[in-house]
Amino acid sequence: MKSRPVSRRPVSRRTMLRGLGSVTIGLPFLEEMHLSNAAAAEEAAVPVRAFNIFFGLGIPAPLQQEGFAGVLEPLKPLRDKLLVMRGVDHVRADEKGINAHYDGAAAAFTAAPPEGEAKAGGASIDQMVRRQWYPGGLPPGMVPTLVGGTFFRRSRVCRYVHSFNPDGTVAATMQEKPRDLFERVFGTVATAGDAADDNAQRLRRSVLDAVVDEYKYFTSVHSPLGATSKARVSEHLERIREYEQRAFALKGKVPEAPELPAGSRLLHGGAADPGGEGIDITLEELTAEWRLMAELYALAVTTDRTRFGSLTFLAAGERIRLKGDYAYEGRTVFAFDDAGQRKRSGSGGCSHEWWHDFDEKKSNEQLRAHAHLKLREVAYFLSLLDTPDALDPNGKTILDNALITISTESGDGRHNDVKRELSGVFHAITGAGGRFKTGQLLDVQAEGLDVYNTMLATMGVTQRLGPGNRPLTPVESIIA
Amino acid sequence: MVKRLPGAVIGSLLSGLLLCVTAAAAVSGEPQPQRVRHGLVALYDFSEAEGTVVRDRSGVEPSLDLVIERPDSVRWLGTGLQVEASAVILSAEPAERMIDAIKRSQGLTIEAWVTPANAEQSGPARIVSLSKNPSERNVTLGQDQDAFDVRLRAESTDRNGNPSTASRRNLAVPQLTHVAFTRIADGTTQLFVDGELAAAGEAAGSLASWDTSHRLSLANEVTGDRPFLGTLHLAAIYDRPLSPEDVQQNFAAGSVAFNPPPTPAERNAIAFSEQIAPLFAKHCIECHDPAIHEGGLDLSRGSAALRGGESGAVITPGSAATSLLWESVASDEMPKGRAPLSPSEKAALLEWIDGGAAWPTDVIDPVIYRHSNRAGEVWVQRLTVPEYIATVKAAVGVEIAAEARQRLPADLRADGFSNTAYNLGVDLKHVEAFSQLAEIIVGRMDVPAFASRFSNSRSLSTDNTMREHVAKMGLWLLRGPLDEREINAYCGIATTVSSAGGDFEQAMRFILEAMLQSPRFVYRIENHRGSGEPRHLSQFELASRLSYILWGGPPDEQLLEAAERNQLRGQAALEAQVARMLKDPRAVERSLQFVEEWLNLDRMAHLKPDGSRFPQWNASLAADMREETRRFFEEVVWSENRPLADLINAPLTFATPQLAAHYGLVPEGDGFQRYELPVGSGRRGILSQGSVLTIGGDDASMVSRGLFVLHDLLRGTVNAPPPCVNTTPPPTKAGLSQRGLAEVRIANQQCGVCHARFEPLAFGLEKFDGIGASQSQDEHGNALRDDGEVLFPGEAEPVAYRSSEELMNLLAASERVQESLTWKVVQFALGRPLVAADAEKLKEVHRVSQENGGTYASLMTAIVLSDLVQKTATEKAE
Repeated sequence: MKSRPVSRRPVSRRTMLRGLGSVTIGLPFLEEMHLSNAAAAEEAAVPVRAFNIFFGLGIPAPLQQEGFAGVLEPLKPLRDKLLVMRGVDHVRADEKGINAHYDGAAAAFTAAPPEGEAKAGGASIDQMVRRQWYPGGLPPGMVPTLVGGTFFRRSRVCRYVHSFNPDGTVAATMQEKPRDLFERVFGTVATAGDAADDNAQRLRRSVLDAVVDEYKYFTSVHSPLGATSKARVSEHLERIREYEQRAFALKGKVPEAPELPAGSRLLHGGAADPGGEGIDITLEELTAEWRLMAELYALAVTTDRTRFGSLTFLAAGERIRLKGDYAYEGRTVFAFDDAGQRKRSGSGGCSHEWWHDFDEKKSNEQLRAHAHLKLREVAYFLSLLDTPDALDPNGKTILDNALITISTESGDGRHNDVKRELSGVFHAITGAGGRFKTGQLLDVQAEGLDVYNTMLATMGVTQRLGPGNRPLTPVESIIA
Repeated sequence: MVKRLPGAVIGSLLSGLLLCVTAAAAVSGEPQPQRVRHGLVALYDFSEAEGTVVRDRSGVEPSLDLVIERPDSVRWLGTGLQVEASAVILSAEPAERMIDAIKRSQGLTIEAWVTPANAEQSGPARIVSLSKNPSERNVTLGQDQDAFDVRLRAESTDRNGNPSTASRRNLAVPQLTHVAFTRIADGTTQLFVDGELAAAGEAAGSLASWDTSHRLSLANEVTGDRPFLGTLHLAAIYDRPLSPEDVQQNFAAGSVAFNPPPTPAERNAIAFSEQIAPLFAKHCIECHDPAIHEGGLDLSRGSAALRGGESGAVITPGSAATSLLWESVASDEMPKGRAPLSPSEKAALLEWIDGGAAWPTDVIDPVIYRHSNRAGEVWVQRLTVPEYIATVKAAVGVEIAAEARQRLPADLRADGFSNTAYNLGVDLKHVEAFSQLAEIIVGRMDVPAFASRFSNSRSLSTDNTMREHVAKMGLWLLRGPLDEREINAYCGIATTVSSAGGDFEQAMRFILEAMLQSPRFVYRIENHRGSGEPRHLSQFELASRLSYILWGGPPDEQLLEAAERNQLRGQAALEAQVARMLKDPRAVERSLQFVEEWLNLDRMAHLKPDGSRFPQWNASLAADMREETRRFFEEVVWSENRPLADLINAPLTFATPQLAAHYGLVPEGDGFQRYELPVGSGRRGILSQGSVLTIGGDDASMVSRGLFVLHDLLRGTVNAPPPCVNTTPPPTKAGLSQRGLAEVRIANQQCGVCHARFEPLAFGLEKFDGIGASQSQDEHGNALRDDGEVLFPGEAEPVAYRSSEELMNLLAASERVQESLTWKVVQFALGRPLVAADAEKLKEVHRVSQENGGTYASLMTAIVLSDLVQKTATEKAE
């Protein structure tokens, strides 16, 4: 199929100003930006897009039954644009000896068990759609697949990356710092033709990042060095920064792109993952960075810099000790203090444990609050694709037109019953230009693989996920 | 109660002599044995007598004071703090620096003098604890009924520090008791009660999991629910394991720490060493030394200075007002013709004279104050280019010499050597080169094979195996254990690689690249933080010093293992390590680097004498001269193991036929051959080799050659010529040889003061021309001589010599020259100019080395065993 031309899309200053309080993004001088120069060639067609949105730890199946009155409440304002699917199971993705956080997370969007530590068991939905609709690649200058996220737990890749090629390898390098995502989107190095070089460059840069962190440490108050030696190491650090600038400077960026956002205040890389022991973080720190990430990602979509990819809000089995007062719609939902409430430090004090303790006979108030928060943040991202800035030529928003799949890792959280844990995994999808039903909470009671394959077929994708000889059992109930 | 003296116990531990001293101390109040201080990171002696704060008296800054949270539960005794009911004595902040220091060294000691209230309390009842709550700790010393019990978190123990190390029963009873727990880096733990070993155990693996957020608490758990009742007399924490001897010393020192302040007389003596001697050296001795003694005054020796000069006494101890010296300095009459003293220098001088004008040193040797402005600066050492090459080779087996020399900027010489730390700066080119070289190095490695040396795992998971893998690989590459922060950082690369679709091998490649550029690879990082007093190095720091000093490369597995087991201590063990290391070819290579650097042999490759005067000069002759000196050095130092002083007068050399002919020797065969130098040839030792003689330039300058001898062999100092003097020497002519010109300068009143000190040193070399060939007359037909005299610095009268051979023998036999060789080797070993504070240690190093033959091996052994290497200066926190 012939690839579609890039659409013309004005981006208003307002798009960028919705960032949360303390995080600000510099803006270009123009009130409007036109990121595509293909405007003249524009046709009124709506491009095909597919994105996977993942959030960690899941929503236990019994809580999903409460609908928008329960933890799904934050999705309520968008309910007309979503199909919430209950009863989707990934039991087939169970891998013996690997915990369900990982199995479940790998199964999200692929319906397959992982293949080792760094590979999924097959392609993800967005990549299947991309290959069908853009067999010759995306239009030049576009980011073929954009993978981003705000998360800390890493260890295995499927915990936090959610776009995979058919061979199970990651479809694009994870951009976990807002700045990195920004450069990936608005830097001109990001062309479709040099993905491999870009990847190598990105990895080498991560080496330099680690080196910079080491030099920073030895110039910090924790340094074992005396003042004189510290000054020497500081000099070295300055030279590294200079080198970094020269070696990795943005080769140029898309004309009129916004200014580079401020550096991240959160831990990234190895420091963010102290061996699975978890990190302390405030609600404000977490949401500020996530929302910046979400806004940049949304900007990449609304400016048509990317059409495929995935976005992660907290990894599978995420371990954070969250603190802060959580309010929603003017009412206080909960005061987060995982470590204090669990009276534990380290992994034992993390929110993750509320999932292990889930008991449908009890109130589960902490789990509820965390799950509610996750959906609020997912909804925040979705709502960015549903604004006047996100209108497609057909007069509908990107949220209406794109295939956006929202899922998570588990339908329970207790590790004592794999079947239960991988059953009833929360799913929601958008209407994809009227292809799927919306405005419903549907008990589909089907295998994830069948649901995904039904979605792919409806999207016009000829290939299928899962074992080649497995007959498709269509889940008709989701099709519009 | 000050301390108990259980004679039987102490007698079984200490020599009779020590027992007498200890007993006498208790009876007469005389100084007690000193407590061990090195490695001390916190000390509480409860001498406050009142209030709610227990002061940290370790001197380490920032101090970690403790707050008594329930003051009603305690009673000050003057010699201790009696805890009568559950109390919490807690640091306001996390004990982060202490924990960091212990994590770096992987060793520690917790020591306490306590009188338990009973033998029943348990929990264990916390005496000293670094913990978060009853079940999560770094380490806790406690009492469990009638035994002491220590829980320490390591890889082999749980979060609670179990299994613990527990003493025998019946030791924690209501009497004054000394208890000390040590953990060495290999995991061995020991618990001593009253100086005797009471338990041995193991808490194996790294302390990387220690939590830096823990606070230090005494007499209870941080949470207040594991109280200890009884009296605390002293508590101390060290960031190293004390040896059994150290523990006994602290036991013998008693329960009351003894740190008398200096007396006024001692303060005056300290002021002399730290302020006055450098001041005299800088401003006065130029003219007032034994040789020049202007006005009959010699200010280099105490007796002479106090005796005075032609105008009588110049210093009246105790009265600056009546001291001529003060009068002339205060009025800026002195120093004559030079800048006046600064106000602070004047103030110091005034205070010193008024305070009694103590003169504890024999002679002020100006050379030791030359770098006094650098005293106290602790410069981290970047690997020099040769060290980087050797380190890469040893660490990962890759030969990177060609690329490293091509890409890395050359290290520049400073103070005579190019490994001088303060001059080992870094510019953009270094950073670029380190990055490119890391990529090249890893590209040449068999990464899977290398990685498998540390673990069979090929897992990318950062929850477990990758962390262990990185920790082990890091310990080897970065020459010491990694802390948790570092493990996290390197593991982060693995996750980035895997999230970009990379595999285990690729992750390892990038981790290696990062490690090869990290500060701990590129620099020899040591802990410089502390009380401001020198401290003993940690075992891993010492392992690195030994290897870089002796080999110019990183520690090998044996050294790291010894460090891990705390075995790099004690004279015998260290001597054995040094002996082993000196047998390694790397030791020879390192010594050759020394001679190359000292004599600046690199110069030979760039020398371009005037072709019309020296038609026989060519690049291969220059290369032969360089090689001659290297071979000569290797022969004297290694093959024949002769005293270093023989470098000055050994009658042998190595030459190619070309070089032999140049020297006027009969060529004996192809390539380099050893030549015995006949008496009367004038040649012997390095001063007669082309590599050194060319220092004089085409004109065989007496000034340049003389200054070389003065500076490099005699450690003499001269000030720069006054600014208005024309320093371009007039040409020689018929009737006026170089020596004649020198004699004119020496006779000149303005120049002679200084030139008399060094030009006669080169008179003996006049029969060697600008490129080292023998000559008996110069180009004008002037007959040349090789007699002269040597004025040894600090001496009043010169010593005459009749020939160059006599000059060499005189120099070789000179204590001053032998000392100077020691200084040169030490300077290269330490990578920094020597300062006044080193002088006493240098003397001792020299004495020990000379006693053992004065050879390179004896000198290196003495150096690494001395405090110059065993200790490092520290700085207080800003």
